Amino acid sequence: MNAIEITNLKYRYHDGTEALRGISFRVSPGECIALLGPNGSGKSTLLLHLNGLLPEKIIGDGAVKISGEALAPENLAKIRRQVGLVFQDPDDQLFCPTVAEDVAFGPQQLGLGEAEIAARVKLALAQVGLPGFEQRFTHHLSHGEKRRACLAGVLACEPAMLVLDEPTSDLDPRGRREFKALLREIPATKLIATHDLEMAVELCPRSIILDHGQIIADGRTVELLADEPLMLAHGLERPHILHHLHPH
Amino acid sequence: MTARHFMDHGQGQSALHRSPAGLKLAIALALVLAVVLLPRTQIAGLFVVAVILTALLVFSRLSFLFLLKRMVLLEPLVLGVAGLMWFQPGGGKIFAAVMVKANLCLLTTVLLANTTPFTELVRVLQRLRVPWLFVTTLTLMHRYLFVLADETERMRRARASRTFTRGRRFQWQTLSSVVGQLFVRASERAERIYSAMTARGWK
Repeated sequence: MNAIEITNLKYRYHDGTEALRGISFRVSPGECIALLGPNGSGKSTLLLHLNGLLPEKIIGDGAVKISGEALAPENLAKIRRQVGLVFQDPDDQLFCPTVAEDVAFGPQQLGLGEAEIAARVKLALAQVGLPGFEQRFTHHLSHGEKRRACLAGVLACEPAMLVLDEPTSDLDPRGRREFKALLREIPATKLIATHDLEMAVELCPRSIILDHGQIIADGRTVELLADEPLMLAHGLERPHILHHLHPH
Repeated sequence: MTARHFMDHGQGQSALHRSPAGLKLAIALALVLAVVLLPRTQIAGLFVVAVILTALLVFSRLSFLFLLKRMVLLEPLVLGVAGLMWFQPGGGKIFAAVMVKANLCLLTTVLLANTTPFTELVRVLQRLRVPWLFVTTLTLMHRYLFVLADETERMRRARASRTFTRGRRFQWQTLSSVVGQLFVRASERAERIYSAMTARGWK
């Protein structure tokens, strides 16, 4: 069964902008996929669909299927439990005063008991390398720490799939390196929208390139990114890291 | 500089800072109620409250100047209300009484706010079963005040770096457009926060 199955997904914003024009792809469980494309190509819009945050009124036409189940108003809660969405701006996602409260938010919504919630908070913070941060104020964290706290908040819900929107933007090189290592450790199915092409090469065997709301290419990351004309045509570039990889 | 370098209100080392938030809230409420309910002529009663507050002030080891600045910041509101009393018969006396009473209440709340971290106050409200919507709104407001302050500062700086004229009028115009822009950004952010909450199961 496919973890994610998108069939001919279309979306138009209120102002008439066509953000997605018939997108189709499938993701098998355990895959790690990079979603590439220039600014405004529809990456974030696509990610919001995976969590049922878009369209505003869910019609349940079967364009989005998560674990074989079509997204519909009745199973929204179930689907949101399976798909963990990490937003681009950590300040949007960390809406509680302290780190512990924020990480506990998801488990609380799941209706878990207090002991279970505390255990999950502890585990999630340890997973992202922020042990002992429970009582820290979210607005006092550095940007890298905020990113990790966001991830912890999503991991605490134990989702089967992780969907990340530009997880490494605004991070310093060390923060980026550490966050990549962190992502590699997480066994969930991952879909990562990013401009960090090196991360795509390092973490994601498969890439999907999106432009003007359409899928331009879908295939092995090293092959797609080595195709210079394709890269340049869609606001991307051939990353230097490819020069250091040996062809297999 | 970002807002996260601002000191958090209510962080401190004195015994007053360390005493439980619930107790402080109760005392503050009692003092405010006493001031409000005491008749104008009971100057002795008001004097007792003033003595208690002064004792607490000394006890809190907060700088007097710091508290005075906070009070002055809120004084226009007090003056606005008290000023209306002038127009009554015998207005002078009423004005003085209202000024004293309002300032005593103000000092109580300023003391409470500066000796108790906001998060602890909210927790007490939660335990007191204050309506959930009110507590959530307060919590979110506190969380995003810092973000908004940062955003305002960034916009102000970006404007200032490209503002070459010194005209007052132009400055006011920019200010108004910053405020408008801030409003738009805040409401867009509110939508994104709501999405983030729904994504983690908020109903």
